[in-house]
Amino acid sequence: MKQIFNRVLTHPKSVLLLLLLLTGVAGNQMRNIYIETDMDAMLPRHSDAYINKQVLEERFGSTDMLIIGVINDEKDGIYNTHSLTLVQELTDWLAEQPHFRTLALNDLLSLATIKDIRGSENGLDVEKFMDGVPENRAEIDYLKKRMHEFGVYEDVIVSADGSGTIFAVRPMPDTRHKYAEIYDMVKAKVEAMEARGGSERFFISGRPVIEGVFGVYMPQEMKRMQPIIMALLLLLLYLSFRTPRGVFLPIVVVLMAEIWMLGTMAALGAPIYTVTTMLPILILAIGIADAVHFLSRERLLAHYQAYAHRKERLIEVMHELWKPMLMTSVTTGAGFLSMLASDLPPIRDFGLFAAVGIAYALLITMLLLPAALMLLPEKEKHADRKPLFSGYVEWLGRAVLAYPKRIMAFFAVLLIISVAGVLKLDVNASLVDQFKPGDPIRKADEMLNQHFSGTTSLDVMIDTGRENGLLEPEFLQHLVDLQLEIEKDPMVGDSSSIAEFLQTMNQALHADDPAWKRVPDSSDLAAQYLLLYSFSGAPDDFETFMTGDYRQAHVRINMKTDETRVVAALLERMKGKTDAWFPEDKGFKVEWAGTGFTVHRLSEMIIEGQVASLAVSILAIFLLCWWMFGRLLIAAIAMIPVSLAVTVNYGMMGNIGIPLDIATALTGAMALGIGVDFAIHYLHRYHEESVAGRSYEESVINTNRSVGHAILFNSFVVVGGFLVLLSAALYPQMKLGALIAATMVVCYLATCYLFPVLLGLGRKKIRV
Amino acid sequence: MHKISLLIFSTMLLAAPVYSAEPTGLDIMRLVDTRDDGDDLIQKMKQRLIDRRGDVREREMISLRKDYGRDSRSITYFLAPSNVRDTALLTWDYDGVEKDDDQWLYLPALKKVRRISSSDRGDYFMGTDFTFEDIKQTPELEDYNWVLTGSEMLGDQEVWVVEGEPKNDDLKKNLGYAKTRYYIRKDNHMYIRVDFWDRKGQELKHLVSEEIRQIDGVWTAMKGTMTNVQSGHRTELTFSEHRYNSGLSDREFSERMLKRGYRDSGQN
Repeated sequence: MKQIFNRVLTHPKSVLLLLLLLTGVAGNQMRNIYIETDMDAMLPRHSDAYINKQVLEERFGSTDMLIIGVINDEKDGIYNTHSLTLVQELTDWLAEQPHFRTLALNDLLSLATIKDIRGSENGLDVEKFMDGVPENRAEIDYLKKRMHEFGVYEDVIVSADGSGTIFAVRPMPDTRHKYAEIYDMVKAKVEAMEARGGSERFFISGRPVIEGVFGVYMPQEMKRMQPIIMALLLLLLYLSFRTPRGVFLPIVVVLMAEIWMLGTMAALGAPIYTVTTMLPILILAIGIADAVHFLSRERLLAHYQAYAHRKERLIEVMHELWKPMLMTSVTTGAGFLSMLASDLPPIRDFGLFAAVGIAYALLITMLLLPAALMLLPEKEKHADRKPLFSGYVEWLGRAVLAYPKRIMAFFAVLLIISVAGVLKLDVNASLVDQFKPGDPIRKADEMLNQHFSGTTSLDVMIDTGRENGLLEPEFLQHLVDLQLEIEKDPMVGDSSSIAEFLQTMNQALHADDPAWKRVPDSSDLAAQYLLLYSFSGAPDDFETFMTGDYRQAHVRINMKTDETRVVAALLERMKGKTDAWFPEDKGFKVEWAGTGFTVHRLSEMIIEGQVASLAVSILAIFLLCWWMFGRLLIAAIAMIPVSLAVTVNYGMMGNIGIPLDIATALTGAMALGIGVDFAIHYLHRYHEESVAGRSYEESVINTNRSVGHAILFNSFVVVGGFLVLLSAALYPQMKLGALIAATMVVCYLATCYLFPVLLGLGRKKIRV
Repeated sequence: MHKISLLIFSTMLLAAPVYSAEPTGLDIMRLVDTRDDGDDLIQKMKQRLIDRRGDVREREMISLRKDYGRDSRSITYFLAPSNVRDTALLTWDYDGVEKDDDQWLYLPALKKVRRISSSDRGDYFMGTDFTFEDIKQTPELEDYNWVLTGSEMLGDQEVWVVEGEPKNDDLKKNLGYAKTRYYIRKDNHMYIRVDFWDRKGQELKHLVSEEIRQIDGVWTAMKGTMTNVQSGHRTELTFSEHRYNSGLSDREFSERMLKRGYRDSGQN
């Protein structure tokens, strides 16, 4: 090892040049970084929710739509000439925008495009509800009456009380990267319409909008938070070192590590997900520790002038530190790498690249700092000032020895409260809930869910196993049964299927007699109705409900929430029913898809991954500690503060009501990986003190005196760094920031207060 | 089509070199409109609807048509698939846009004749990629501004290229097209290719007519393929067993025949 160190110090310029070169390469790669906001891309490719979503799109052309709602709170709601003129105007405008696909009826649904199916004296009339804007009260009343009688679109396109109506429009297939632009464009249009006066208010939502806004928020957030956390680091470094090199060298180290990490991500084609936007902050906060340790040690040795030449001194620093640094990096890395146990790409990427970044930070620390210190002129050292918080650290050493029982009691109570909280822990992977309450997007979504059938899609695809299978009366009746059963759920706003339309046609062809609102009596009749319809309405009116060979049917469900527990309960309730109605042994196959289902699967995987990665990280870190300390008991003790902190973390979530989601699920393994460093540093020092023959009390005081500072600094950086996330525009980052910060506080307390007490419990036996 | 019109064309064609001027776009479209397509026709028709995944849906029907001056009547019997067999459609098609066409459909499973409300010209027809406007022999000429943009070789045929733009925004909206472009054979006045652009100005569809030959002295395309380039959906129509000018009686185009169904022996 010393030879390598020697070589670094002999060629400091080459080392610096190499580092700069690599940074240049990585920085260049960063141009290729792209942002992934598609929620389905957060699922592993083999997940049924991911596959079914593709099938849904492929088979039924069903993709997520942009939704605009217009609400008029006046007496007649939107049933007045002014509102309907706006409806017509906006519909025409949407139809003309090149970003929208408007080939078929289901590409652009609005009051001005949907069609009424009505029986006439001797035939079937399929007509648009609105053929131009109705001009007088009578026409408007007729429109209102037909909307209510036809029923299919009530609550879906027009709210039941007539106070609002919806536009749903399909973005072109290749416009995903333009979702934010499309949102701005639509927003500008409706704002211009609002500005002309009138009591109509517009709301824009739908998954393309939500994902588009996410795509804008994410890089903005990264750019905004970077300087804040840098300022925080500069402040803490200044308080610790008070020299330019002490402040700027660590900053250069972590910035380089950040650039290398982002460059690696870009080179490997890993996208930025919501959770991975936090990686730079994480690397800044965690990576700084190694540099701080290095510079502290170097300053200490320089202060005592233990070595004549600075090269010798630096070799000594490197030699002393490489092992503990490697150890802490390995344990932290193990905590993050345990996230690979999850099936979800964002979580896997987060863990993998955090570990990569930590490795980079260590490597750069060990190369850049010695090389830079070799080149910088040696300065007369400042008189060694007492580091900040020395008083506190001194007090701490004695306090823990004085009040062991109180400390134990405090942590015991904390543990009990936390365990109670863990039992209340909930899971939710809602997309909309990632926006803060009060965010315009979330408000619009709430408004739309309140007035209409719901903005969250849930889809059932039923393969009848044979051509023309869906025309069978029995099957159609079961589709109707399925819809009725699903609609019993109060969170289900509406559902639609081909059965509904066939019922309406059957009624229309029997002189509009409501008694005939039932599925056609024979398969042939159903086929002939559909043929008949194709002469009057556009045939692709139904392409989203069935395939051309009449083999596969699609039931579209609108839900008012994408909360996991609601979807999970609904799926659970439907399982038995669908098995009975569409038995597999008769060739049927039922598949679920849509945003609701994606969210459901996501949360399932969050839990599975959570349990797996926690187990893996606990085991890995435990084994590492065992290997490092060589004794099982010490390894077990080392795990106590972090285990406690992780329990408190989940307990807090349960008690406060923060559900596990894709971001908060990361906190456990993360806290474990970062927090165990404290324990390792502490135990290391305590071990050396014990070996030197000091008593338990002396060992505790001395340990506190030396590593107490470093741990305190680390805690400040990590807690401060994660508290910066509280200013985030997105909810998951805020929650994650607060949770990690709080968990780190607990971890610090457990290490510096509980540890010495525990070590004192069996002071005769426990010799570290 | 009609002897008088034929006379007019011949005169025009003869006259053309005298004035040594190219015909206008409208002149050419009139030639297309008045091309002889027989006074009546019986033919078999096969529809193949092919979606973007390549899944095929087929229908077979037999169709009878008779001209009444500039109006025409037709009756179409479905032969396959079996679940719509004997379904029959009767259409009385009136020239011009003033009067809506009359359409009746017989549904054997319901044993009833139902009148069908007339569709918008831009509506798609029977699940095909053809709109009601497209399936007519020629579009309503007075609704478009026609411009001859040139002559060229398409395959081994010399063609005129004529572009038609609906005259106003309402028509564009109604038809669903902002522009159409016809490639018209100079020898027999049949268009062999049509390109369509949607209201956003993007290319929407193209129609290609193939296997053009003379049957009973009438130029006939045996196959037509309409491809929607945006949706990837396409419709192939193949025609066979043509019988032109067999002297179909008026009775053939009545509600009674609609219910009776198609019987080959019933024809001459």
